[in-house]
Amino acid sequence: MKNACINYVLKTVVFVLLGIFPGSLPAQIERTLNPVSGTYAITHVNIVQAPGRRVDRGTVVIKNGLIVAVGNDLKIPQDAIEVKADSMFLYAGFIDGLSHAGVMKAKDSPSKERIKDPGNPPADRAGIMPQNDVRDFLNIGEKSIESFRALGFTTAHVVPYGGMLPGSSAIISTGGKSADGMVMLPQYALYSELAIADRVYPSTVIGVMAKWRELYKQASLAKSYESIYASNRSGLVRPAEDRILAAFYPVIDKRMPVLFKAEKVLDLHRVLALQSELGFPLILGEVKEGWDVITKIKSSGAKVFLSLDLPEERKLETGSEKQKEENNKTAEDIEKTALQKRRSDFIALYEGQAYSFQSAGIPFGFSTLSAKPADIVSNIRRMIKAGLTDDQALAALTVVPAKILGLSDRLGTVDDGKIANLVISDKAYFNKDAKVRYVFVEGVLYEIEHRQDDGTREVRKSE
Amino acid sequence: MKRIIGGLLLLLLSHLALGQVERGNILIRGGTVLTVTNGTLEGTDILVKDGKITQIGKNLTIQAGIKVIEADGMYVMPGIIDAHSHIGIDALNEATNPVTAEVFTGDALNPFQIGLYRALGGGVTTIHAMHGSANAIGGQCETIKLRYGVKDPEALRMAGAPRTIKFALGENPTRIHGSWNSIVPRTRMGVEFVIREALSKGKEYNEEWGVYNKLKNQKGFRGKAPEYSARLETLGDILNGNIIIHCHSYRADEIYMLLKVCQDFGIKKLVFQHVNEGFKVAPELANFGAMASVFADRWAYKFEVYYSTAYNAAILTKNGVTTSINSDDPELMRHLYHEAAKAEKYGALSDDEALALITLNPAKQLGIESRVGSIEVGKEADIAIFNGHPLSSYAIPMITIVDGIIRFDRDKDPDDVRIYVDPNQELDVSFKESGYDNVDNCMKDALQSFADFFETN
Repeated sequence: MKNACINYVLKTVVFVLLGIFPGSLPAQIERTLNPVSGTYAITHVNIVQAPGRRVDRGTVVIKNGLIVAVGNDLKIPQDAIEVKADSMFLYAGFIDGLSHAGVMKAKDSPSKERIKDPGNPPADRAGIMPQNDVRDFLNIGEKSIESFRALGFTTAHVVPYGGMLPGSSAIISTGGKSADGMVMLPQYALYSELAIADRVYPSTVIGVMAKWRELYKQASLAKSYESIYASNRSGLVRPAEDRILAAFYPVIDKRMPVLFKAEKVLDLHRVLALQSELGFPLILGEVKEGWDVITKIKSSGAKVFLSLDLPEERKLETGSEKQKEENNKTAEDIEKTALQKRRSDFIALYEGQAYSFQSAGIPFGFSTLSAKPADIVSNIRRMIKAGLTDDQALAALTVVPAKILGLSDRLGTVDDGKIANLVISDKAYFNKDAKVRYVFVEGVLYEIEHRQDDGTREVRKSE
Repeated sequence: MKRIIGGLLLLLLSHLALGQVERGNILIRGGTVLTVTNGTLEGTDILVKDGKITQIGKNLTIQAGIKVIEADGMYVMPGIIDAHSHIGIDALNEATNPVTAEVFTGDALNPFQIGLYRALGGGVTTIHAMHGSANAIGGQCETIKLRYGVKDPEALRMAGAPRTIKFALGENPTRIHGSWNSIVPRTRMGVEFVIREALSKGKEYNEEWGVYNKLKNQKGFRGKAPEYSARLETLGDILNGNIIIHCHSYRADEIYMLLKVCQDFGIKKLVFQHVNEGFKVAPELANFGAMASVFADRWAYKFEVYYSTAYNAAILTKNGVTTSINSDDPELMRHLYHEAAKAEKYGALSDDEALALITLNPAKQLGIESRVGSIEVGKEADIAIFNGHPLSSYAIPMITIVDGIIRFDRDKDPDDVRIYVDPNQELDVSFKESGYDNVDNCMKDALQSFADFFETN
């Protein structure tokens, strides 16, 4: 009977062109009316409470956005909407460590007009806007929110767009009634990239590094003068108000980390050089080439989010058409084969990055800043093929990022008392035929629908 | 005890991982050693321990296990030093402001550039990775050793080498800032003004901070620190004698101008780069103690470089100016020994004088002559081995050693020396243009950014 309610929700259908799994296009059903109850019981489901902790054919009861019971033979509350998930798999919702999901580009993008004195540009042209707050750019209607939610991401650490210091980050849920409603933790980290400005200072990475240090030192001095002033104002010049410098104060106090995008190996070295000089708490995000920097990262104490973007897979050309004999090969053939091998060996390093961090004992989560949603699950499978276990991959999507971000009391596992962020797939999530069926974000149900290639909808009938 | 050893081992390992430099032990046996400072030694051995030359002599005895290079019939010279280069870095011109003393090429080191390996193939072991010449006062430069193969940019630095900074006179800064951006400097007068103004501000900055630092330690002091400026602090450090100026310059009048400016500000550490008209002011340079780093015979690539001569290096040398020959170019860098030979041919220099142009003298200009630039006991084992006399056009560099580690060996020269491979690169084994177009390399980044600018506007 309760299942009728799911039918009811089907009335509003939103298609999202995604293609997470080859050969299918998932779509998502979004409720426009409040459900008749805030209580759900997901039944007969294989519950992966945490990596390595499983309850088979169990039930998860959620109420008012929280998990209230997990286990076998649970009594289903009277008011619960039952979600029949026979033989499906249920996991804690995934956490994305660095993302633009739900974030709009600034409405008034800085003017492209020629600056008269390019050495002294306005702060916005220079990309120095650390006083910005990503909350001002959140939009519940952004398509990216749906795309990531359909993959099972229920929490994201989101950052604003633009320049070397775009503003402060926030941890959000990938669902909610309003922009503010999505926000779990505002002003979580000061976000930064080694991004150059367009034809104005700093227009090179050496300019960005110099400016970064200068701002940090200026902020340290301004902050210490403010405390001298606060202790006894009489006879002292009033400190100048400067929101750019003030944005560094919580970082200097080590109350707020700097979240640095560091994709390439040299970005990592440069960011770590700044950190060892200035001593701020650091989160490295969207790391793609970290395998040679592991020891340095470990001794820096930085927290790590590895990118879910990978270079395209390349098949070695076997030369099957020609089937040349060894002695028939031209110098060009030999060189080409060697270059191809070198490239595929190198691609393997990207695929094996997560495993090498795992082996080195560095906890890591994942981030999606530059990853295409359609590639994410297959990329995780490539990482698993390169050595990561399913449990380790799951940990990097759930418990580890929850711990890194200090959210373990609320997120990361399927336990009573935690926020009801859940992902339910028809097969084990990392199975290549698996499809995500339901996602709960803070107790709100999103049914994920997949379309076949021929365009027919694979509508799930509820009896 | 075990724990202490374990701890030490751990410490050692962590140092290795954090860009600590690898140093080797090696014996180079029976070569003709061109010491540069102590003449030519026939059939002589050089023993290297822990990256340093520990013994030079005949028939040296060694412990078992030390690697031996048989150099019979070979010529062994100090590793070549290039006092003007722009390789090994990802950015070189912060061309947005006439004064950018705060930027530092050492922040953009790139140990993966193949140019570093190619330079080793030309016997080069140390280079001055400089900021470009777009600005009257450009950025600070980094002296690096060509330890190609290291993956941590920190391991490229020649730790302990003095700080240096790029200045530039003449057409480049006036074109970028004056002609294109319509700001000072538009003329050579403007360049002098920009430099004098900047140094004056640096002086005031030093004074302000001097006063503050004195007061700060007095009991009960409650005051505001002067505004921190990375730019002015660097300029102040030049005035304090902590940074060597390397100034891009061509014309005699502007060279003489900067001598006067430095005199006025009490600056003593001064090296001119390019200095095509240096021969006209050689006595003045010598008198000041300024040094000169020149091309052997490269000129006429813009108006201010027409009045030039292949005798420049010799005239400067004979006038007592410490002179070097540089490349400013990744290709030229690979045969600096030819460039030195040209200077010798034109100006009738001695072999030692010619070799000093690419070894000891650039070392002096970078302030590293106590460590490298000649083959002497106690110096770092940066050594180039040739199959003939390096000043002969027939000589080929065979082995290049940095800190006692073989970084190039012609007999073991792999086809693919890339350290990092672009996973998205499309493979093309056909010969491609190198993109080398004989422009002034000092203007890289600056030219590009302004080309973009004109396209988009």
